[in-house]
Amino acid sequence: MSDVIIQGFLISGLYALIAVGFTMIFSVGRVLNLAYGIYIMIGGYVYYSLSQALEISKVISLLGAMIAGVLFAVITYLGIVKRLRSNPIAVEISTLIWAVVMQAVIILIYSPAPRAIWPIVPGVAHVYGINMSWNIFFAMITSWVVLGALLFFVRKTLVGRAILAVSMDAKGALLSGINPEHINLLTWALSGALGALAGVFFATYTQLEPSMWVSPLITAVAVVIIGGIGSIVGSLVAAHLVGFMETITTSLIAPELRGVFTLLLIIAILVILPKGLLGQEET
Amino acid sequence: MLGGKLKKSIPWWLLFTAIMSLMPLLISTRSIRILIFANFIAIFAMSWDILSGYTGYISFGHPFLIGVAGYTSAILTHQYSMPLYVSMPAAVLLTMVAGILFFFPALRTRGTYFALVTLAFMEVTYHLVEVVKPELTGGTRGLTGLPLLATGAVPNYYVSLFAMIVIAVSLWLLGKSGGGLVFSAIRMDEDAVKSAGLNTTKFKLFAFTLSALVAGIGGVLFTHYLGSISPRGMFDINFLFTILIAALIGGEHTIIGPILGAYFLTFLLEYSRPYIPGAWRYLFYGMIALIVYNYAPRGIFTIATIAGKWLGRKMTRRERYDQQAA
Repeated sequence: MSDVIIQGFLISGLYALIAVGFTMIFSVGRVLNLAYGIYIMIGGYVYYSLSQALEISKVISLLGAMIAGVLFAVITYLGIVKRLRSNPIAVEISTLIWAVVMQAVIILIYSPAPRAIWPIVPGVAHVYGINMSWNIFFAMITSWVVLGALLFFVRKTLVGRAILAVSMDAKGALLSGINPEHINLLTWALSGALGALAGVFFATYTQLEPSMWVSPLITAVAVVIIGGIGSIVGSLVAAHLVGFMETITTSLIAPELRGVFTLLLIIAILVILPKGLLGQEET
Repeated sequence: MLGGKLKKSIPWWLLFTAIMSLMPLLISTRSIRILIFANFIAIFAMSWDILSGYTGYISFGHPFLIGVAGYTSAILTHQYSMPLYVSMPAAVLLTMVAGILFFFPALRTRGTYFALVTLAFMEVTYHLVEVVKPELTGGTRGLTGLPLLATGAVPNYYVSLFAMIVIAVSLWLLGKSGGGLVFSAIRMDEDAVKSAGLNTTKFKLFAFTLSALVAGIGGVLFTHYLGSISPRGMFDINFLFTILIAALIGGEHTIIGPILGAYFLTFLLEYSRPYIPGAWRYLFYGMIALIVYNYAPRGIFTIATIAGKWLGRKMTRRERYDQQAA
């Protein structure tokens, strides 16, 4: 039982990090970014190259992964999303195609074979007779620190409040002297950084492979639909709901059915509570 | 029953059918195999088009529908030794039920969320097929040695061509009918359609089951053409990508566009093989698709139609001039 609780908390922290990066873009720009999974993948691969192939220190590799995530997020925004912004469906289709293109690039560089990535913090701890890897524990703590910092940034700082203002009413924000264009770019950059960071953790939790972007994207979607789109707190709650449900399914029923219950929950939420648990109106 | 415009198009359909039927006499067996593949991609792309191109509910889960059809028929024939004439209709029926599963999220969500939920359907099924009851589904390796519907390239070609043309003509007629008009109206403004007193739920359900029906037919025929099925070949993002790009490059919301897109893509795929190594290809297609979708969002078919009309107008003007001169 305590096994389920600990595992549930560990994975939920990571899910929250994955989902928040995804929902930020929607709440500010009102578009769903299907290339988000790519930042997760690129984060993992860049970290792998820097720390394992070039043997650079782990902290710098982590920073390098996040910079790569920012870079790709900004490219996605300026290159594809900006001119299609008024048509959410076109954004969705284009970002999906872009994601497949980037997957092809990764295959070209790294070959399609899966790669094992070393844990950031090696070792296993024994807590109440349960094996808990320090790596995933480190991932959870970092996720919480980053999410806390993000909440503080959005609520307390001027730039953060500008982001909040644009997400509530872009025209109103413009009238108050905020340039929504800059805010959009900043949000994409932040999202890329969060995605890449989550990607490093996700890759050390599973493994690196060119199709690894789909499953965290689905998780992000599930969390965001359940928590309500655009709500950071909603995402935190929903990430724990999804994380715990998956852990319980894995340890008590069958590991294979993990995704099925999440999918059923998505459908149920969509039919019963289309706005999600804590979400804004979908526009 | 048929309007003037539709009557005018009959010769074109007949011409297309005739040319395609004569193909086996003209080209090599290898090219015939390519054409068979193109026909199937065309069926899948049309199935996508009648749902997503027309009603605007973008599906990223079509491989799920095709896979349900393929796997149902594969399991029924392989594990329960049922004949094809039982397993294939059963599989198509089950696919239509699966299409209704898609429909539940579409009751409440529009556009954006819907696409993601269908993507989740595909991804979850992929993991399920791999691990749940591998003795039934064949697990990761899938099932091989399935009964074939026809043997040899040419008979298979005619099967795929016949299915493709029947589906194309039916969907095309439907697109031009009142039903197609309502589908397009739902895409433009669902609330307006509702306030005009039409039951959009009913029309959406119709579009969903129809799309699933076509995907189901395509899926069973494709599976019993290949004679094998595996989760990675079916519930794969690259398969979705091929279908989606065929429909988009050809021009969504036209039915004929996806056929053109499928042929274009398949031949590009095949004939670029010597020049572009495998891994580069998806990169190229993706870039082509991105450019076409962004700069010519209505696709090849619409461009061709507009060009045709423009040429036609020029001709008639000249004819008029000639008549006046004479």
